[in-house]
Amino acid sequence: MLKTIARKETLETILSYRFPLFTLICLLLIPLGLFVNQADYGKRLRDYQEQTRLADEAAKSLSIQDVMAGTVALKGFRRPSPLSVFTQGFESTFPAYYEFTQDGFTAGESSGGSDSILAAQGKVDFVFLVQMVVSLIALLFASDMISGEKEAGTLRAMLSNPLPRDALLAGKAGGGFLALWIPFLLSFLVGLAVLLFAGFPLFGGDAAARIAMVFLVSSVFVLTYYVIGLAVSAATAKARTSLVAILILWTAFQLIIPKMSDMAARLVHPVRTETEVSLQKSLLVNALAMEQARELGREYDRIFANAPESANEENSPERKRWDPIRDGIQQRYRERKSRELGAIDETFAQEKRRQTNLALNLSLISPSAAFARLVSDVCGTGELERSRYAGAVRSHQNALDAELFSKVKRTVMLHEGGGTSVGFTAMPVDASKLPKFSIASATLAEAFKANGRSLVSLILWLIVPFAFAYAKFLKYDVR
Amino acid sequence: MNEPKLLLKADDLSKRYEDGVLALDHLNLGVREGEVYCLLGANGAGKTTTINLFLNFIPPTTGTCFINGIDVTKNPLEAKKYVSFVSENVMLYGNFTARQNLDFFAKLGGKSNLTRDDYYRVMRRVSLQEKAFEQRVKTFSKGMRQKLGISIAIIKNAPAILLDEPTSGLDPKAAAEFQDILAELKDEGKAILMSTHDIFRAKDIGSRVGIMKEGRLVMERTREELQTEDLVKIYIDYMKSEPLSA
Repeated sequence: MLKTIARKETLETILSYRFPLFTLICLLLIPLGLFVNQADYGKRLRDYQEQTRLADEAAKSLSIQDVMAGTVALKGFRRPSPLSVFTQGFESTFPAYYEFTQDGFTAGESSGGSDSILAAQGKVDFVFLVQMVVSLIALLFASDMISGEKEAGTLRAMLSNPLPRDALLAGKAGGGFLALWIPFLLSFLVGLAVLLFAGFPLFGGDAAARIAMVFLVSSVFVLTYYVIGLAVSAATAKARTSLVAILILWTAFQLIIPKMSDMAARLVHPVRTETEVSLQKSLLVNALAMEQARELGREYDRIFANAPESANEENSPERKRWDPIRDGIQQRYRERKSRELGAIDETFAQEKRRQTNLALNLSLISPSAAFARLVSDVCGTGELERSRYAGAVRSHQNALDAELFSKVKRTVMLHEGGGTSVGFTAMPVDASKLPKFSIASATLAEAFKANGRSLVSLILWLIVPFAFAYAKFLKYDVR
Repeated sequence: MNEPKLLLKADDLSKRYEDGVLALDHLNLGVREGEVYCLLGANGAGKTTTINLFLNFIPPTTGTCFINGIDVTKNPLEAKKYVSFVSENVMLYGNFTARQNLDFFAKLGGKSNLTRDDYYRVMRRVSLQEKAFEQRVKTFSKGMRQKLGISIAIIKNAPAILLDEPTSGLDPKAAAEFQDILAELKDEGKAILMSTHDIFRAKDIGSRVGIMKEGRLVMERTREELQTEDLVKIYIDYMKSEPLSA
C-alpha cells in the first residue's frame, strides 16, 4: 500500500508542470554555481601559490640584521579550501595571511577581496542555492500534499479504501520527496562532472568523501523542509492557507532567525573591535619596552658607573656582572610581555567566543543555520576552520619566538641622565630551518563531532514536524 | 429461500457537529444485496453525512454503521474492503490517464494483479470511449469522469456501493447510461445506497426509497408500494410540511 501511494505521488509530481520547472532550475543553477566558484577558487589558489612562493624566497634570503631591524615580517598564508567551491562559509572573512614579528602577530587583509556585486549580496554557491532555492521549492511541493488533495476531493476517494492513514502519509512523503530528490541528484552529478572538467581535484585526499557528505546532508536538509511543508499541509484545510504559512516559516528560518540571533548575541555579549585590541596591545608593548629600557639603564649605570670603558671588555668583572643581569631583565620582560599580551588575546578571544556561541546556538533554532554550519565545517570554511586557523597562528608565533625571535636581542636603555643607548646581540639562525606555517584542517569525523548540535537540530526538524503531521493527519477532516 | 444478506446497516445513527448542528437524528436503515436504496432529501437533510459516517470520515455521535456486519468505527479498514464509493464530482488525478487512475484505485482497493486488458474491459463495460482509455483525465467531461468513477467501483468488486448524488449535473443521456450500469450492478447482487435529488430516477431504479428531512428518515417506501403512490407528491408534501424541530 505504501509503495502504491509512493509510486502515485512520484508519478503525479513528475507529471505536474512544477517538475520540469524545478529540474530546469536545478540543472541550470547548481552546475553553473559550482563552475563559477571553481573558477573563483582557482584564482584564489593561484594568488596563494604566488604569495607563498614570494614569501619563501624572501625567507631564504632573510638575514639576521633584517630581523634585528624589525623591517621584515614573516608571513604565514592560509591555503584556500578546495571545497569552498561548495560553500564559501566564512572563508572570505578569514585573513589571507598573518604577519609574525617579535611583537606578536597581526592579521593581513581578508581573502574575500571581491569587487563583484555578489560580494554585497552573498555568494551564489551550492549551499546558498540549497538554502534559498531548493528549500523553498521543497516547501512549495509539500504545501498542498494534504490540503490540496482534500480540496481536489481525491483524499476522500483514497480513504474510502482500506488504506491506513499512516501508510498514506508516509507514502506521500516518501514518493513526493523522491520526485524532488531525483532532479536534485541529477543536477549535483552534472555539477560534479562540470567540476571535473574544470580541473577540480575530486579524487584528491578525502574530497570525495566530504563531497558525498555535503550531498547527504543537503538531501537531509531538503527532506527537513519537505516534512515541514507536509506538516503545514496537514494542519491546514486549504492549499492557499498552507502556502501563506510556509512562506512565513521560510522567511523566519532563512532570514529572521539567523539575523536576529546575530543581533541578540551582539547585544548580550558586545565585543571590542580588532583595532581597539590592537591599540591596547601596542600601548602595552610600548609601556613594557619603556619600563625595561629604564630598568636596564639604571642597572647599567650602577654597574659601569666607575668603569665605563669596561663595558666593551668582554672579560671585565663589570661585564661579567652585567651580562646575566641584562639577560635576566630581558627574560623577565619577555615573559611578562608574552603573559600580558596572551591575556589580552585570550580575553578578546573569549569575548568573541561567547558572542559567536550565543549567535550560533540561537541560530540553530533554524534548520537552515544548522545545515549551513555543518556543511561549512565539512568543507573547511566554517567556524571550526576559523578556530584551527587561530590555533595555528598562535603555535607558529610560539615556534618563531623559540627558533628566531629569541635569538635576536635588541637592548634599549634609558639612562637616568636622559641619554639613550641601543645594543644588539644575535645568535646564528638558519633561515631554511625556520618552521613553516601550516593549518591542521579538521577531519570529517572532527567536523561532525564539532557539529553535534547542528545534527540534533536537523534531526529534530525532521522528526518533530513528521510526528506533528502524523498526529494531525490521523484526525484530519477529509470532507 | 435465504433472505439476502444485509450489507449496509445504520443502527440508531446520530451525528451532531461541533457547531451544535444535529445533522443526523437516530437513523435506522439497511440495504441488502441486490437492492438499491435511494435516499432523497433537500440539501442539508443528512444524506451526505450518512455516507460520510459509513466511510468513517467522521465519527458518529451515537449509533453504529455496519458494512457486511463489520462495525465501521471499530474496524474501519476491514469494513472498507467491502464497500466502493462514487461521489457527486468524481475526483481523479487529472495528469493521469483513465487507465492509470483505474490502476491506482484498484491497487488501493486490494486488486494488485490486474492487467491492462482487465482495465480496458471494465472501461468498455461502462461505455467509456476507447480513445479515452489512455487520455489524461483532465480533458474528460463530467459524464466521462462519472463513468470512470463507476469503473473504479466495479473493479474493486466490493459487495456494497455508496453513491453520493452520482447523476447530479449529468446530461440525460449520460444519466441514463449511468442508471443502466447501476441496474446491472444491482442484478449482480450489489447492495447500493445512493443519495440523490432525482425523484424520477429514484423511483425508476430504487428497490426502496427513503426521504430524509432535518437528519431524520421521515418516510420509506418499497418499489412495490411506489407503484400505487405518487413519489413526487409525497416528496413535495414532506418538504412543505412544518419543520420537525418546531
